[in-house]
Amino acid sequence: MNDTFETVLRRHLTYLAPDAALDPDASLKDLGLDSMRAVDLVFDLEDELGVALPDEAMTATTFATARNLRAALSDAASSAGVVR
Amino acid sequence: MTATAPPVTLGGRTREVAAVIRERAAAIDEAASFPTESLQALRDSGLMGLLVPVQHGGLGGDRHDLAEVAIELAGACLSTAMIWAMHCQQVASIVAFGSHALCERLLPRVARGEVYIASVTTERGKGGHLLTADQAMDRWHVHRDAPIVTGGEYADGFLITMRDLPDAPPNAVSLVYAPREALKLESNGSWNPMGMRGTHSVGLVLDGDIEPDAVVGAPGDFKTVAVTTFAPVGHIAWAACWLGAARGAVRDVLRLIRSPEGRSQFAPDSELLRYRIARVRMELDVMAALLSQCIREAADTENIEDIPVQLRLNALKVFVAEHSFGVVDTLIELVGLRHGYLREAPLRLERVFRDLRSASLNYANDRLLAVNGGMALLDQGVHLAY
Repeated sequence: MNDTFETVLRRHLTYLAPDAALDPDASLKDLGLDSMRAVDLVFDLEDELGVALPDEAMTATTFATARNLRAALSDAASSAGVVR
Repeated sequence: MTATAPPVTLGGRTREVAAVIRERAAAIDEAASFPTESLQALRDSGLMGLLVPVQHGGLGGDRHDLAEVAIELAGACLSTAMIWAMHCQQVASIVAFGSHALCERLLPRVARGEVYIASVTTERGKGGHLLTADQAMDRWHVHRDAPIVTGGEYADGFLITMRDLPDAPPNAVSLVYAPREALKLESNGSWNPMGMRGTHSVGLVLDGDIEPDAVVGAPGDFKTVAVTTFAPVGHIAWAACWLGAARGAVRDVLRLIRSPEGRSQFAPDSELLRYRIARVRMELDVMAALLSQCIREAADTENIEDIPVQLRLNALKVFVAEHSFGVVDTLIELVGLRHGYLREAPLRLERVFRDLRSASLNYANDRLLAVNGGMALLDQGVHLAY
């Protein structure tokens, strides 16, 4: 999941240079993730990873950093099982 | 209460019942049959006594609780939710206006789920007009021919409007309670409607003697009961049911679109799809906001007869009837023919659409708009609430 996660996430971080490292604690907002992009990111991640994020995970905290988002996805994966 | 401990929270009770009635919703719609098993689940849950005060063994719920439960139940089966909601409307009137003796003997049985109460307010010719009656009581004999009684063949008791005495004017209406065992019942007419097929609303002739203490409110003064309790609680309960049905449909559609299969069919990044979803969500939030405002105002019985309050309570019924139906119509447009129009489609939008088509007719919107138009002319200051 790790590689795919970062690949998908990077697609939505318009201010992150392709060769720059993604700091797991960097503010995703500062890297270009706004609320409209977050919707597309969710769909993208759910499609690529086969995991559905529950309503409860749709908080500002979840989308604050890559670390938080990754944690939310793995919580969703372990509680619901991988969809496909 | 039963041997197995029922879930303690209102939400827990409601979810348990909702699961049962959801399973039966398609079958009762198909057969246009009364949801006996669903009602049994409600009887066992304690929810039949939601509005019965705690001292009479009930849950002591308020109008907000009523709306909350109605919304949940209606998301599972609108017919069953309406049957329950109308029962609650009758109970609220008895709690507020019933004699001490009537409350003592009836309410504990309601709380135990033993008595499901149906409403008898229609008359041939006058339709559902609440505040007049042709058919008169003759101390204390009741003979009542009602063209539509929701759940009439299955109710354990009836709350009936009658002209107070044979020589009383048509607007001297009394509300009386009659237990099923005191009545001779004759049902007539068949029931094969477009929607709300589980409500089994047949014509009924009721004949029997009531107890003198079973008049709810002052004799001939149903108007006070209607304005302060019967109509406000009815409008809140109906609106909550319709809103709940629309919300249930929106939930189902969102889950479909968000599911892996739905994702490939619906293109969630489509602007048209997002526009439609934004619309239906906005409609739900606006309806919920008006409902919430009316619940607050209906709790203030001192000012409930004020014109701006009565305007909103009527508007709640009219607005939610129109817009809940509109939401489901938009959803069908959104998901298309296969998911939205076919009877066997898992979303069952087609059933909810048929069910909600009844909302504007169930105490006709036109009649309430005529009343509101008159009242609004008397409120030149246009007093809004927010």
